[in-house]
Amino acid sequence: MRKIKIGIPRALLYYYYFPFWLKLFSELNFETVISDNTSRELLDRGVKKSISEICVPIKVMIGHVLNLEKNGVDYIFLPRFRSIKKDVVVCPKFMGLPDMIRHSLPGLKTPLIADQIEAESDDISHFSNHQKLAETLNISKMKMKKSLKKAADFWHRYRELLFEGYLISDFYGIDDLELLEKLISKIENNSKKPQSQSQDFEASGSEEVVDIALIGYVYNVFDQYINMDIINKLKEMGVRVHTFSMVAEEIIEEELSRLRKPMFWEFTNKLYGAAEHYFKNNQIDGVIHLTAFGCGPDSILGQILEVDAKEYKKPFMTLRIDEQTGESHILTRIEAFIDLMRLKKENN
Amino acid sequence: MRLSFPYMGPTIVYKKLFELLGHDVVMPPKPNKEIIDLGVKYSPEFACFPFKVITGTYLKLMEKDVQTLVTSGGHGPCRAGYYGEVHSKILQDLGYDVELIVIDSPHDDYKYFYELVKRLKGDSSWLKVARVIKTVFELSRALDQIEKKIEIIRAYNDNGTINQIWMEAQREFHQIKNTSDIKRIKNKYLKKLSEFEESIPGEDKRFKIGIIGEIYVVLEQSINNQIEEKVNHFGFEVERSHYLTDWIKENAFPFMGRHLEEIKEKGKEFIEIEIGGHAQGNIGHAIDFKEKGFDGLIHLKPFGCLPELVSQTVIDDLSEKYEIPVLTISIDEQTADANVLTRVEAFLDMIKEKDYREVM
Repeated sequence: MRKIKIGIPRALLYYYYFPFWLKLFSELNFETVISDNTSRELLDRGVKKSISEICVPIKVMIGHVLNLEKNGVDYIFLPRFRSIKKDVVVCPKFMGLPDMIRHSLPGLKTPLIADQIEAESDDISHFSNHQKLAETLNISKMKMKKSLKKAADFWHRYRELLFEGYLISDFYGIDDLELLEKLISKIENNSKKPQSQSQDFEASGSEEVVDIALIGYVYNVFDQYINMDIINKLKEMGVRVHTFSMVAEEIIEEELSRLRKPMFWEFTNKLYGAAEHYFKNNQIDGVIHLTAFGCGPDSILGQILEVDAKEYKKPFMTLRIDEQTGESHILTRIEAFIDLMRLKKENN
Repeated sequence: MRLSFPYMGPTIVYKKLFELLGHDVVMPPKPNKEIIDLGVKYSPEFACFPFKVITGTYLKLMEKDVQTLVTSGGHGPCRAGYYGEVHSKILQDLGYDVELIVIDSPHDDYKYFYELVKRLKGDSSWLKVARVIKTVFELSRALDQIEKKIEIIRAYNDNGTINQIWMEAQREFHQIKNTSDIKRIKNKYLKKLSEFEESIPGEDKRFKIGIIGEIYVVLEQSINNQIEEKVNHFGFEVERSHYLTDWIKENAFPFMGRHLEEIKEKGKEFIEIEIGGHAQGNIGHAIDFKEKGFDGLIHLKPFGCLPELVSQTVIDDLSEKYEIPVLTISIDEQTADANVLTRVEAFLDMIKEKDYREVM
């Protein structure tokens, strides 16, 4: 019998949760199909089908949904993220995502599985978050719970490595579960430190290594197409890259407790906490805020970071990406930023 | 306290609230080119338009030596709930020593809310506070009642004449002290307006447009290029999805908003869960307007508004399903009056033409 194909768009929170989903569907004995890497063609199709004003990540998402439809899957797995922390929600566009997809793509034939995710922490494995999935695919509650548990355990191992200092891009791109499992075990048993912590990392041409905190959402920082492969570009220039996913939750919580009221969007809060932590951290030479055109929460966050960076006297730069960003633009700006920091280091 | 507040809709309501509580109220300036330019200069580029206008208003108020600014808060996920925090950051960064009081819902932080109310009430007794709130609520009800009438009558009469009456009414309301004053003035102007009622044609000759969208741009005429007047000018009646009374009801007395709950329920067809702002409610209003026999909808939103972008995405489908034409207008500092006028005119022409063909 042919296995049922579940399509997962390679967009938005895919980068954060992909080990969880890959493991979950494999445990449930379904075939997972991930949409292709973001490309000009895929993005163009997404742009055409979305309203012009909406932020780029949503346009990318629509492109990926269309790509799955084209590649032929039985269902598209598109959970509706509502919250991953008690009393804190996520961006309204995430919350209305299945509605937007349903009503802006009336020609879409593949049915959506749109469970509402309302978790109290980043761990989204509770059964109540997957009821529709169980119903639609006729999975018994027991089997579902068991698979969710396994998937969550696997995801926690991945998340732990991120806390240790590995980048999502170290794992990302591996859509095959077996390979991913091998890689994770290998890294776990490896005594070598991740790039962000490594002392023997050397810049080409014996230039000084700089440490940059790249503050941005997972779908902007790790989509190689949309951000012109910024991570590898930075590494090539002799930069140790730090991201929010390396900062322990307690530190983020502590930073947030200093606000009269935290922001309403959980990932924005994570970025805020991480950025404040990096501002104070002497190891970090500069902070880059990578944001997408039309991002609402970032317009608020960006303003706060800009003011705070001044206070901490930390070099700070905002890089905005959109569907037409030119490669040379990104390159010029990060080069200039890094030069500036090297100069500052020399002067000290 | 010498205080002021952002400019939105019928500001005399807020003015009266603080004035009757014994504060020294500085009226915020009506948003204009200068204020908008000022706001744009000192706000984040991608902040929504209302944020920029309010930044401009605050900065302008700084010239008048205001010590305290009072604004509403919220618990998201719409950005508006966080305006206060960012505005105080911007003002501080620019070196102004001003306190921003953000009124959050008591549900979020009861103690903070209580402290705040205690400060705002000043020396007034709780009984007086209750009386003031009642007066102010009556005032907003009276204003909305008159405005709703104006939005109908203005379609069939000279805009100038009717606007004159509306302005006079607002001016007179500035002097009120208690509820009986409000009643007197309200009746006076409702009577004045009823003289024009003869001009309203038979039901089959009336065209009605519903205006839905983000509350600030829907309520604030100086920001939305007087869209209501424009629509009225072409002989169409207007009704909005937001009036100040509804907003007060929703935020201060949730138990009174039963009617609004029903409308929101209708929105669930397109937006399943509450996603912040008024997106779900607006979709509900759109369906509600259609059911009430309206001929078209104008959907107003600030450029980049998060919740309204979701409603804009689903509204095409709604328009097709419910057979009601929708015109979406994004408003920001670049919006030109002639652009809005042209689009509104073309839209209304189309509605008339459609009706004419259906009759033939």
